[in-house]
Amino acid sequence: MHEVVQAIILGVLVGGIYALMASGLTLVFGIMKVINVAQGALVILAAYLSYALFSHLHIDPFLSILIVTPAMFVLGVAVQLVFVRSLRGPDGSELSLLVTWALALGIEGVLSVIFKTNFRVTSPSYGDNSWSILGYQISEVRLFAFASSAVLLLLLSLLLTRTRFGRAVRATVQNPTAATLLGVDANRVQTLSFGLGVSMAAAAGAVYGVIYPFNPGSHYDLISRLLSIVVLGGLGSLGGAVFAALGMGVIEALVAVEISPVWSSFSFFVVLIAFLLVRPQGIFGVRERVL
Amino acid sequence: MTRKTLARLAALSGAAALAAVAAAVGSAAPARDSAAAPLKIGISLSLSGDFSDPGKFAQQGYKLWANTVNAKGGILGRKVQLIIQDDASSPTQAATNYQNFITKDKVDLVFGPFSTLLSAPSAAVANRYGYAFIEPAGGGPAVFDQKLHNVFFTQPAPIVESGDVFAKWLLSLPKSQRPKTAAYPALDDPFSSPIADRMRGILEKAGVKTVYKTIYPSETVDMTPIVSKIASANPDVVIGGTQSGDGYSIVKAMVQAKFSPKFLFLSNGPNSPGEFPSKVGAKNVNGIFSASDWFPQAKTPGNPAFVKAFIKAYGGNAGSIDPGSAEAYAVGQVVSSLASRIHSVDNKKIIAALHKGTWPTVEGTLHWNAIGEPQGQDLLMEWIGGQLYPVLPKSVAVKAPFFPKPAWGK
Repeated sequence: MHEVVQAIILGVLVGGIYALMASGLTLVFGIMKVINVAQGALVILAAYLSYALFSHLHIDPFLSILIVTPAMFVLGVAVQLVFVRSLRGPDGSELSLLVTWALALGIEGVLSVIFKTNFRVTSPSYGDNSWSILGYQISEVRLFAFASSAVLLLLLSLLLTRTRFGRAVRATVQNPTAATLLGVDANRVQTLSFGLGVSMAAAAGAVYGVIYPFNPGSHYDLISRLLSIVVLGGLGSLGGAVFAALGMGVIEALVAVEISPVWSSFSFFVVLIAFLLVRPQGIFGVRERVL
Repeated sequence: MTRKTLARLAALSGAAALAAVAAAVGSAAPARDSAAAPLKIGISLSLSGDFSDPGKFAQQGYKLWANTVNAKGGILGRKVQLIIQDDASSPTQAATNYQNFITKDKVDLVFGPFSTLLSAPSAAVANRYGYAFIEPAGGGPAVFDQKLHNVFFTQPAPIVESGDVFAKWLLSLPKSQRPKTAAYPALDDPFSSPIADRMRGILEKAGVKTVYKTIYPSETVDMTPIVSKIASANPDVVIGGTQSGDGYSIVKAMVQAKFSPKFLFLSNGPNSPGEFPSKVGAKNVNGIFSASDWFPQAKTPGNPAFVKAFIKAYGGNAGSIDPGSAEAYAVGQVVSSLASRIHSVDNKKIIAALHKGTWPTVEGTLHWNAIGEPQGQDLLMEWIGGQLYPVLPKSVAVKAPFFPKPAWGK
């Protein structure tokens, strides 16, 4: 029983970080129908930025979120303007896959040249600390990472529900044509949302680098997980992404402990496929109406 | 003197000079037109892709050897010319590169690429054309299972045996200090899990109880569930068949789980003196064991000269030299020895010669069995006082093994 509870704690803490990464992906898809397969590479890019700030300027990795996130927001806006905006028309979604994949490979290449392919870890002084609570070990950095993710997700959800911009975003998700007719500047919403999606990746990347060793190739594994999370959660659904990410974290940790690590990633995909057979639109997804 | 006679004189003196050069070269090598042609050596290296860092370490070792022998007149009077092609860490590209070296570039010799993954198909290509395949980094079962007679691996022992020294040392301890229980987490990789499996075989036979074993796939980024399981089984010794990234993660997860076994051995990760302390925290390294094939202070043949030349050529200090450079340099040393022993770079003669006798290199004095497995033993390394030292075998040890492992942060 002790092992099971410990595994659930670990799973929830990890799931929180994946939720943050996936939130950006699902947001961008919801608004633009663009599948940003560079999201994983952007997470790793942010991990390197935070690592560089920590190792050269001794800026705490959690504090570096305040620098990395706005910087990557600007990058996201630029990427949207230069590469993504021009992809319109019926095959825009498919083309966006290719363009963002090229972006992912480009980021990986540049990182390999600058940082080499060795594994890096951002190791703050408190990186090894953990609290023992009722015999369970709770790592300090993981709890901080989970807490930062939760705060950022809450802020994102407030932004989407309580602000004028958020209302414009949600309107665009629901019906882009109607939103435009009502005076929403779709271009502006799309550009800012893409930047927002990338800045979520950035914040997640800064905390990711504290928990896991990473190298420029780490994004392949990340993107496969993130895509599964947003599909399970329902494409475009923020709540679904959070729910699915936590679910993935817990399932993987439980299977690794109780059965074998070999089956842990696999088991998540089994759940994903089984779920999609019953509910193809994902947990919180809505069936699209075709007119 | 007319212009014509001047031209004739010039031609004559030119011919005389040529003859003199030919005579001089002819005394060093059989009189052939190609006597002064460079000795071409084809090497495929991972200069980009996943193995680009280790690939570059190997390149440094190869180039250092070539420059060293060329400064002394080359091999059998011929300048060594390395033809290095990037394989982007791809096994298919590596095999293609060797095919091209042999059929298009008509190289005299080929040297091995980085890692077992690339060496296995490349060795088969070399074998098809009757080329000797002296190689620094392909020490996994995939290479030796092909049972090729042209392969010669320039490290002291096959990779799968690299943990044997540690397992045997554990069993040599007095019964009261010997571990009674063991856990074996291992990466699903031809380099890693076979090491842990083999050590488990040795220890189980001697009565050390296995309380946990698992194989995790390479995409496992989070080691905490595995480590929490190990911690609850509370073994005396943890033996990890690891590569670098997962090795770092296991140590970090153990620190956070506040679980410190009496003995901790990881096949890879801790053996990288430049990387390991920065990845797991310098205060957490002490008492961790690992395996290695080379260390800078080794008194192996030619090693002090190698270390000195390396620092002169590339800067840094002895501690920053990667064993990968020494392994590649050792390949060159074998060829230098061949030149002085059999006076030939004929591949058939080389293969026959290398199956006999012993060959001095910076990696130790090597000898191979019929399929190219070296017959020595690897070094057992341990972090003591924040430094990585060889602690076994006794003949090369700088310090005695230190145990039990202190708590984390001590």
